[in-house]
Amino acid sequence: MSIYLPIAELSVNLFVLLSLGGAVGFLSGMFGLGGGFLMTPLLIFMGIPTNVAVATSANQIVASSISGTIGHWRQGLVDFKMGGVLLIGSVLGSILGIWIFQTLVSTGQIETVISILYFVLLFSIGTLMLIESSQVIRDRIRKKTVKKKIHYHNWAHKLPFKVRFYKSKLYISIIPPIIIGFFIGILSAVMGIGGSFILIPAMIYFLGMPTSKVIGTSLFQIIFITAIITLLHTTTTFAVDAILAFFLIISSVIGAQVGVLAANKLRGEEIRALLAVIVLVVAVKIALDLLVPPEELFNLSVLRVIF
Amino acid sequence: MILRTYLLSITLFLAISLNASALVIGSDEEEILIDANFSGQDLMVFGAFYADPSQPRDEKGDLLIEVVGPSEDIILRKKKPFLGFWLNAYQVEFRDVPGFYYLSSTSKIDNKFLDKNSIGILKAKRSSEIDWSSLTINWGEINSESDKSEFYEALIRTKTSENLYKETQNEIELIDGNLFKTRIHIPNTVPVGKYDVNVYLIIDEKINKEYSYNFTVTRIGIEEAIYNLAFDFPLIYGLISLTIAVITGWSGAELFRRFRKK
Repeated sequence: MSIYLPIAELSVNLFVLLSLGGAVGFLSGMFGLGGGFLMTPLLIFMGIPTNVAVATSANQIVASSISGTIGHWRQGLVDFKMGGVLLIGSVLGSILGIWIFQTLVSTGQIETVISILYFVLLFSIGTLMLIESSQVIRDRIRKKTVKKKIHYHNWAHKLPFKVRFYKSKLYISIIPPIIIGFFIGILSAVMGIGGSFILIPAMIYFLGMPTSKVIGTSLFQIIFITAIITLLHTTTTFAVDAILAFFLIISSVIGAQVGVLAANKLRGEEIRALLAVIVLVVAVKIALDLLVPPEELFNLSVLRVIF
Repeated sequence: MILRTYLLSITLFLAISLNASALVIGSDEEEILIDANFSGQDLMVFGAFYADPSQPRDEKGDLLIEVVGPSEDIILRKKKPFLGFWLNAYQVEFRDVPGFYYLSSTSKIDNKFLDKNSIGILKAKRSSEIDWSSLTINWGEINSESDKSEFYEALIRTKTSENLYKETQNEIELIDGNLFKTRIHIPNTVPVGKYDVNVYLIIDEKINKEYSYNFTVTRIGIEEAIYNLAFDFPLIYGLISLTIAVITGWSGAELFRRFRKK
């Protein structure tokens, strides 16, 4: 059964679409990731135009991050104040990001830039995950326990405009979170991702936030940033496809819940290693598309239909 | 459609009684509707022709069926390697080219005939050199004649690979020498708008009779509502998209929480 997408202006197989949403949702629920970094490239592989894939992913992440935030918020693991400060930076970043996106669309470089960015991103994530999970597996075999430091003191504590974040037990300058938010905002707008896999380590290592509060706070921040990006895309690039978003949201929300259940029953490291391999395969596919001489050197895009 | 069939029989009757050539056509669709389940559709064009009523079976006449979709402006880009990466480097803008083009004939029609009557994809002459005068093109950095024709051919090639341009022969089914029937596939990527169907009866390499009609491709139902909302009221569209995301995300989490408690 196929379904016609009004904004992408093509029809896709509904079963494939729901499986994609469900699978990405499952992985995101299992690993606590947003999943946007897999959703966008997979949509592009399916033949969805790049701009529609990016803009619609942003809309889908709103739903999945709300779903995720609720759980963390109930357990009191969301630092709303820190989320708000991050948001100041990311709103500014997303406006710049949308401007970059529009410029890339009009000069015809959006596909290439998105591919390069996704390759770099997926390749680094995949490699890091593979190293990390294989170390954990090795440590488990050697029956070693790893000691982790709880708090880091660094340059982020020496800047002006210091503010007290009670929930995170921090007294730091608001400049680093705003700068981090700014970069995440640009990436979110250009790539259609929430950016949690960059945000989470940045919050732990640069801001020194407690690990328990990091996921909830980043999810909370992502709800708003992706919501703003969705609105910016609908009003400037007209690329959000409501039908596509609807089916992705339904399937990914269900997939995410199943993923959470599965995460409790399965052993994490092996599956994390498997995810790392999947991510690397996607990265290699993107790289090949960029580097192998294409069969068709020409590509066309319709500017407007004249009635 | 009933009216067309009626006209068809009258015209045929007149043609036979007046001992002249005749051409009439009908079609099964006057409107193609794009709804949520649209995955392309076949359009049937049928009719009758008499090239030489003195003969029981026509051998003289050839038929040419042309379908021209709504015009569009397009950008064609060419990739070039840059530091090992294949990037879009050159671009040419073609204005006012058909978004859909289909040409079918009962026998091989030569380019000279098509050029003379300005029929064919993009209506540019192809007998020898391409005549650009019938097209509006912004060439950008492209200067040489060979580069230009490369872009021109690439335009036709890419449109053909998307099933939007097609030139074909022997797809028109002839029944008893005077009746014809053909199916034209309208793919799911077609642009919305008005489509012209032109049927030509060709005798001795000249257009003897010509019959035209048109049909429309329209979005309906939720497809139309979403498309119009997205382009006419983008902010409202965005807010609705967000509301759906918020409600689904929230209720999904709630539902599963209850489910897990049981």
